[in-house]
Amino acid sequence: MLFRSRLQLLLLMSPATLLLAMLTLYPISQILINAFSYVDYVGAERQFVGLDNFVELSEDWFFAGAIKNSLSFSVLASLLQVGLGLALAVLFDRQFAGRRFALPVIIYPMMLSTLVCSAIWRAWYHYDFGFLNNALLSLGLEPVQWLFDPDMALFSVMLVDIWQWTPMAFLIILAGLQSIPADIKDAALTDGARGWRRFRHITLPLIMPQVLLALLLRSIDTFKLFDKVYALTGGGPGNSTETLSLFIYKQGFKFFNLGLASAAALLMLTIACALSAVYAWRYVGAKS
Amino acid sequence: MLSRSALSLALTASLTLSAAGATAADLVIAGRDGIYGQALEATVARYKDTHPDMDIELLKLPYGSLYEKLVISLREKSGAYDLVLLDDTWATEFMGNGWLANLEEQGKITGDFIGATLDISRYPVAQGPAYSLPIVGNVAMFAYNQALFDQYGLSKPANWDAVKVAAKTISAKNPDTSGVVFRGQKGNPIVTGFLPLFWAHGGVIVDDSGQPQVNSTQGVQALESFLELKQYAPKGIEVYNSTEVRDAIQQRKAAIAIEVWPSWAPSMDDPSQSKVVQEMQVMAAPGQVNGSSPMLGVWQMGVTADAKHDKAARDFLDYLTSAENQKTLALELGLPPTRRSVYTDKDVVAKYRWYPNQLEALEHGKARPRIKQWNEVESILGDYLQLAMIGQMDARTALDQANRKIDRALKR
Repeated sequence: MLFRSRLQLLLLMSPATLLLAMLTLYPISQILINAFSYVDYVGAERQFVGLDNFVELSEDWFFAGAIKNSLSFSVLASLLQVGLGLALAVLFDRQFAGRRFALPVIIYPMMLSTLVCSAIWRAWYHYDFGFLNNALLSLGLEPVQWLFDPDMALFSVMLVDIWQWTPMAFLIILAGLQSIPADIKDAALTDGARGWRRFRHITLPLIMPQVLLALLLRSIDTFKLFDKVYALTGGGPGNSTETLSLFIYKQGFKFFNLGLASAAALLMLTIACALSAVYAWRYVGAKS
Repeated sequence: MLSRSALSLALTASLTLSAAGATAADLVIAGRDGIYGQALEATVARYKDTHPDMDIELLKLPYGSLYEKLVISLREKSGAYDLVLLDDTWATEFMGNGWLANLEEQGKITGDFIGATLDISRYPVAQGPAYSLPIVGNVAMFAYNQALFDQYGLSKPANWDAVKVAAKTISAKNPDTSGVVFRGQKGNPIVTGFLPLFWAHGGVIVDDSGQPQVNSTQGVQALESFLELKQYAPKGIEVYNSTEVRDAIQQRKAAIAIEVWPSWAPSMDDPSQSKVVQEMQVMAAPGQVNGSSPMLGVWQMGVTADAKHDKAARDFLDYLTSAENQKTLALELGLPPTRRSVYTDKDVVAKYRWYPNQLEALEHGKARPRIKQWNEVESILGDYLQLAMIGQMDARTALDQANRKIDRALKR
C-alpha cells in the first residue's frame, strides 16, 4: 500500500485539490453570479436581474446563429478529422517506402501556430490571387467564393481546421493500432479474417477507445473554435461563421457586457458538458 | 568553503540583477503597432537625444489588445501606463470615467491644432478642457482614378448619385476594372466605409436626446445607395479590408475608393507598388442632401489620471505634437499631422500633393457619436450592414433590427 492511512492520502492531495478548486471553481462561481446580474464593469457594481440576460440571449438572432454554427462545426469537423485520422493511421500502421519521410510531413500542420495557419489559408483563399482559385482556373474550373459566400465560409474554416488537426486524431489512433498485440492479429489471420472483415470485427473494436478519445478531444476543441474564425472571417459574412466563443469574446472583452457574456458562457459550458458526457459514457463503455 | 562563497556571490549578483531589472521605467507609453508604433519609436529616439538618461518603455499593441489593456488597467487604477494612445471613439468613455488627466490643469495647450481635431480631445466635446492632444490627423478621404474618368468622359463626382453613375459606367465599359471598392468586412471596416455616405444622405446614428435613429428614411436611402454601389464592386467585397482595397486601387482593379485613409495614399504614387502613379485624385467625400461629411479617425494621446510620471509624460506629449516633430513624422513615415502649419509647409506639400484637400477634409470632418457604448453600437451596425450586403435582409429590415438592438445597448 502506497499510503499508510486515508488521512495521509487526503493531506497529500489537498494542496493540489485546493489550487485546482480555486482556479476552476472561483471563475465558474463568478460566471454563475454574473449570468444573473447586470454588471457595471467600470463602476464595479452588480445588480441582480434574474433571467433577463438569458431572455436577451434567446431573442438575439446572432446568438442563435452562433449556437448553430458552433454545433455544426464541432460535429462535422471532429467526425471528418477522426475519419481521416483513422484512414491515415491504418495506412501508416504498415511499412511502405517513404513512410519515415511522410510521417513528419503529415504531422507538420499541427506544429504551426493557428494564426500562421490562418494567414497561409487566407492567402490561398483569396478570390483573385489565391492559390486555390488559380489552381481551379488552370484546370478550367470556376473560381470559388471560399470566404465570402455565406453558405461556403464555415466549410472553408472547417477545411483549415481539418488540415491542422487531423494529425492529432491520426497520432492517437495510430498509437492504439500499434498497441494491438501481434498474437491477436496472427490469430485473426489463422481464422481466415482478412481485409475489411478483419478491420471491422477485430481491429476497430480494439481501437474504439482511442477513436472515441480522439473524437472527444476534437469535439471539445472544435466547439470552442475562436482563433481561426477571428483571423479568417471575423465571424462573417453576415453571421455565417460566428461561433459561441467569438460571441462571448465580443460581449465580454469588446463591450464589457459581463452579465450577458457570462450567461452565454454558462450556456456554452452546459452544451459542452452534455457533448462530453455522451462521448465519455461511450468511451467508458468501449473500454469495459 | 570556496564553493559556498561562490554560491553566495552568485545569489547576491542574481538578486541585484533582478532588482535592477524590476526598476520601473521613467516613462511608460502604451501605443499602437504599425505606422503609429514606428512614429512613436522614432519620436522616442529623437527625444532621448536631449534626455539621454531617461528610460522610456514603449508598448506597441494591436488595436483590440490596446483597448482591452487600457480599459482593464485604467479601471483598476494600476498606474501601469503614463501616456496612452487612444482612438477618438474611446475618448468619451475614457474622459467620462475620469481615466485621463486634465491637460489644461498641467499647462496651457499651445499651437495651431486644427479645430475639429482638438474639439474631440475636449470633454464635454468642443466645450470642456482638453484631456488629450490629437496625434494623428486621420480623416476618411475619397479617391478616384482621373485617367479612367477622363477616358470615359466622367467629371469629378459632385455627389453620391454621380459616384453611382461613374461606378456603373466604368464597370460596364471596362471588364478589368470594377467601378468602386470599399471595406465590406463586418464590424468597424464596413461602418467606416458607410458613414460618409450615411451622413451625406442626412442619416443620424444617435439624435440629440440620445435615441438611436439609424433606421430613418435618410438612413435607409443611404443603405440602398451603398447596396447599389456593391453591384459595381469586386467579388468578395464582403470580406475586403484595407489590404484588399489598397491592392484593388493600386493594381487598377477598381476606379473609385469611397474610403481612403491618409496613410494609404502615399503608396498610390509609389511606382514600386502601384500601377496608378499620379492617376488618383484624393479629396473629401462628396455630399448629397448634406454637404461633404468626411469621417474623423483621429488618434489622440493622453496622460493617465493614475500616471506615476505625469510631468515627464506631458513633456514628451508636447514634444510629440510639436510642429517640428509632426513635419518630420509626415516626411519620414507619412503620418498625417494635426497642426495646420504642417499641412501648408512647402516641403510636406511637395511630397504629398493631396495635403491641401486633406486639410479641408479635416476642417469639415465629422466625428463619430460621442457615446460611451460606441464600440458596441458600431459592432451592431456593422453586423446588420453586412447582412444587408450579403442579401439576407433588405435595407429597411436590417436598419430596423439594428436600431432596436442599439436602443437596448444604449439603455443597458
